Amino acid sequence: MENETDKEVIEETQENDGKEGEDFEDFEGEEDSRDVVVPGEVLTEDTKNFLPGRGTIYNSERTKIISLNIGLKQIRKNYINVIPLRGFYTPRPGDKIIALVVDKNPVKYKCDINAKDFGTLKPKNTIKRGKMRSFRGGGGSGYPQDEANIERFEIGDILIVKILSADRLNKPELTTVGKYLGKKNNGFVISIDPPKIPRVIGRDGSMIKMLKNLTKTNIFVTQNGRIWLKGEDIAHERLLVESIQKIATEAHTVGLTDRMQEFIINEKKIRGIE
Amino acid sequence: MPLIIKDEYPEKLFREDGKRLDGRELNELRPIKMEVGVIKSADGSAYLEWGNNKVFAAVYGPREVHPHHLAKPDRGILRVFYRMATYSVFDRKRPAPGRREKEISMIVSDCLEPILFLELYPGTSFEIFIEVVDADGGTRCASTTVAALALADAGIPMKSLVSAIAVGKIDGKQVVDLSGIEDKAGDADLPIAITWYNEEISLLQFDGEMDLDEMTKFLDIAKDALSKIHQMQLVSLKSKYITLKEGEGEKKR
Repeated sequence: MENETDKEVIEETQENDGKEGEDFEDFEGEEDSRDVVVPGEVLTEDTKNFLPGRGTIYNSERTKIISLNIGLKQIRKNYINVIPLRGFYTPRPGDKIIALVVDKNPVKYKCDINAKDFGTLKPKNTIKRGKMRSFRGGGGSGYPQDEANIERFEIGDILIVKILSADRLNKPELTTVGKYLGKKNNGFVISIDPPKIPRVIGRDGSMIKMLKNLTKTNIFVTQNGRIWLKGEDIAHERLLVESIQKIATEAHTVGLTDRMQEFIINEKKIRGIE
Repeated sequence: MPLIIKDEYPEKLFREDGKRLDGRELNELRPIKMEVGVIKSADGSAYLEWGNNKVFAAVYGPREVHPHHLAKPDRGILRVFYRMATYSVFDRKRPAPGRREKEISMIVSDCLEPILFLELYPGTSFEIFIEVVDADGGTRCASTTVAALALADAGIPMKSLVSAIAVGKIDGKQVVDLSGIEDKAGDADLPIAITWYNEEISLLQFDGEMDLDEMTKFLDIAKDALSKIHQMQLVSLKSKYITLKEGEGEKKR
């Protein structure tokens, strides 16, 4: 059983990587584009050959391109981007994230998703699909007869949820129906700055695979800055948490994956774990 | 019986060698030290030492607005809470926010609003808490400068930084960066803030007497001083990341 869950989680993270591949490539720019820029800094005055991309705008006369964030300057084709080093999470439909149930009533669960609004999880979005034909048919009682298919959560539960809808004006709507979604009964959750998540995943998932293999731990990395992990014993888990915190503080440096591998192997020798 | 000390100002605000009372030249700034990311639980924070002024700023947001009726459906709001510690000035400062605190909170908020994209975050608020732990003239300028740093540290998209400084006239001479005693005993006082995005004046207050020609001169000398402060802001923001980067490089070798 344990092995099965292992496989599941590994598959899942790879799936995640594919989705976030673009973001991650942004982060892993060329070596010469690792300049730290701050808001208002002029990135270029050559507006004929360059266009403002992510995190940048024209000035009011359209003669300069300036940065909006504190981050790393990066040039892609003719676009100038700034990859932020600090910031907050903005929910997007389709994201798989870790949520904490903070309130519940008969109509909805209120979930803390580390964004500006709380997410709402309605009970109809917790019913397993395929076993609810009477409900999908549109007629009948409107709710499935089989009460066992309805999952019930309590305040304080950790859930892995998917965002169904999210925009600027309305509260994001969540669902627990889907692969790998639902309540987590074991392991624990740590949080880091959301813009640093792509670094924890690494290029094509290289960082996360390395962490997983060296510490023998299950990890689930989500876009809102929260990371669920469960290891064989506390020593491995502690090493992994320290590694992730080290990644977060050195997110803007070059050659991080190799350095982290060295760090973990050294630490394992020092701590005497395998 | 409380000890009563009258405010007594020196007759001359210049020494015999032509320098100011604290030994500065006419257009010399007080020593400035800036640091970013000093408060861990805040989304963004900054600390500023400007002469004898010591100011902390913490930024939270975007988050829900309390009380809820202040929320705007079409855009976010920026709220600034400027407070002075009871021990920050010579006499004990009453801790309740008074007229002066409300005014400075408002002007700092108005000064920073043009550089933020509040329309992207409807129904939410950004909150800046400014705590002055030691005050010696020019805290509104120090507060504006440090609040801009804290906003940038929080990763909130903004068009540019904002810098502020007070220029003024003491004993008939134009000086930059008034200290507490010069502020009280001087002839005129003119705090200025600038947004570097389009180099527009974002704050201009005036107290005292001066004519129009002097005013234009003041704006010129203020701009030189402001660009110095802007450079310091840039360095302090970048140093948080660059020192770490260099340190890592050494380790690697």
